[in-house]
Amino acid sequence: MTAETTHTTAASAQATSAIGPILASKLSKRYREVLAVDSVDIDLPGGVVGGFVGPNGAGKTTTIQLLLGLVHPTGGTATVLGESIQHPERYLRRVGALIESPSFYPALSGRRNLEVLTRLGRLDKSRIAEVLALVELTERANDRVKTYSLGMKQRLGVAAALLPDPELVILDEPTNGLDPAGIREMRSVMRGLADRGITVLVSSHLLREIEAICDHLMMIDHGRIVFQGPIGGLLDAQHTGLIARPEHSGDLEKLVALCVAAGKPARIDGEVLRVTAEEDWAAELNRLAFGAGITLRGLEVTRATLEEAFFAITDAGTQAAAEGPVEENGV
Amino acid sequence: MWGAFSSEWVKLRRRSMLGWGFGAGLFFPVLATILTIERAERHPIFTGRHGIRVSYAVLERPTGLVHGVTDVSSLIGLVALCLFAAAFSLEYSQGTLRNLLVREPRRARFLTGKFLALVLFIGLIVVIAIGISVAIAFALAPGKGISTGAWTSSTGINDMLQAVLHTFLAAVIYGVFGAALGVLLRSPAVSIPVAVAYFLPIEAIITGAIWSGGSNWLPNHLLVALAHGGNSDATYSHALLMLVIYAVVVSASILALFRARDA
Repeated sequence: MTAETTHTTAASAQATSAIGPILASKLSKRYREVLAVDSVDIDLPGGVVGGFVGPNGAGKTTTIQLLLGLVHPTGGTATVLGESIQHPERYLRRVGALIESPSFYPALSGRRNLEVLTRLGRLDKSRIAEVLALVELTERANDRVKTYSLGMKQRLGVAAALLPDPELVILDEPTNGLDPAGIREMRSVMRGLADRGITVLVSSHLLREIEAICDHLMMIDHGRIVFQGPIGGLLDAQHTGLIARPEHSGDLEKLVALCVAAGKPARIDGEVLRVTAEEDWAAELNRLAFGAGITLRGLEVTRATLEEAFFAITDAGTQAAAEGPVEENGV
Repeated sequence: MWGAFSSEWVKLRRRSMLGWGFGAGLFFPVLATILTIERAERHPIFTGRHGIRVSYAVLERPTGLVHGVTDVSSLIGLVALCLFAAAFSLEYSQGTLRNLLVREPRRARFLTGKFLALVLFIGLIVVIAIGISVAIAFALAPGKGISTGAWTSSTGINDMLQAVLHTFLAAVIYGVFGAALGVLLRSPAVSIPVAVAYFLPIEAIITGAIWSGGSNWLPNHLLVALAHGGNSDATYSHALLMLVIYAVVVSASILALFRARDA
């Protein structure tokens, strides 16, 4: 590597750390009548596993293709690793990507498919063996891709994404077609990348997967970002609840009355009482029950799942849209 | 550009590609050479019952060595047309283009490197096809009593090298049209039939029934003239000039489209 290249890389890394590996402002893509991506603002911090979630057709893949320079924006701007998406050649050497379903030459082996990409990108050939080992495909590397299962093709796609030893990895639906063991392995690969300081952006419509692996979240719905920020913050901001189990189920009605009297909505759900209240109120509920002569054999705090949070946000957005104009990207 | 060139060779050197490309590219010239020599007669009778047979006198000229090859040089061009159309359109239909453009986002370099790799591939096919045909001609001619003295003269060798050059140039320009159709139509199932349909029946129908003067301007007639080193439709220099203009315009248009279009 020349001194100039080193200098450029260092300068670029500095710029990246200052502004985040992915930054977009009002990024839009229109296909004739369809606005696939609608004034999207993105600020993905470095070194995180960022989740990009939304239902099928929400605009995830189009946004990723915009960031990779594969499709041209019809509005807005974006930078990836500090470089404008108008010049993908300036940053794609430092980016690994798996786009939609992995596509390879079926008549070539897995190793030859990676060789095609290595030669094209003028990458280090020794990376082929490394990435094949990382995704545990070494033993099947010389078999034709047409004999691979979908899960193996997915792993080969991840291997292809890792070929350039990237600073940023963008994976579009990487767990599609993987069995539970493969999904677990993929999670571990992604966490391993983040531990090495590589920023990972992973898109999925499987919210549980994202919840399990991501630190940062971007939610997209109908082409618009409806939330972005730390995943923990999102879940904390959602309503928590309490579940109380009285010793005698006959006490459930009394407990409902106590909660309602204290201003906390509650309902009976089988043998338990579900109360909409903050975690702190659990002690108060225990005191109220004890004071009323009710013994609780269980009291636990429940948190919203990412799925519940997603629907809470998108439903609120839909309702607000039906009622009138909404603030851009408002959650 | 070297990256795209080198990467394309990984695909071209696979067994099926070598088999298909060289099989089709060698079949026509080798068959034409064998039939030309085996069916040659000292005093041929040109009737429908006997078909067209070449006389010994024609084969004993310096150009006789590549007589059969020259007759089918446009078929080598059609092989190039299909090969280039398939190579470009398959990247779209297989979905591999996106992976490739992530690794080489400079689209002009990508397209040029890939094209040059295919040019080298078709060049090898032309050289090997003519080489084998020449060897077969030398092997068969003595058995038929055809004199090969003129073939090894400097004129004969020059004629053979010109046949290689003309066939190669024609194949490359067929390839430009094939590549353009591949990028434009994005599917081998569409681009290959469209290409073959235009270059075989459609252009013949146009010049036969609609525009007889078209044989001096339309690409397939010009390509046949180029491959033959000039013919009754067009002189060699006119065919070459027109085809270079066609190739430049088509290449520039396709490059502009490829750069502007979403992958």
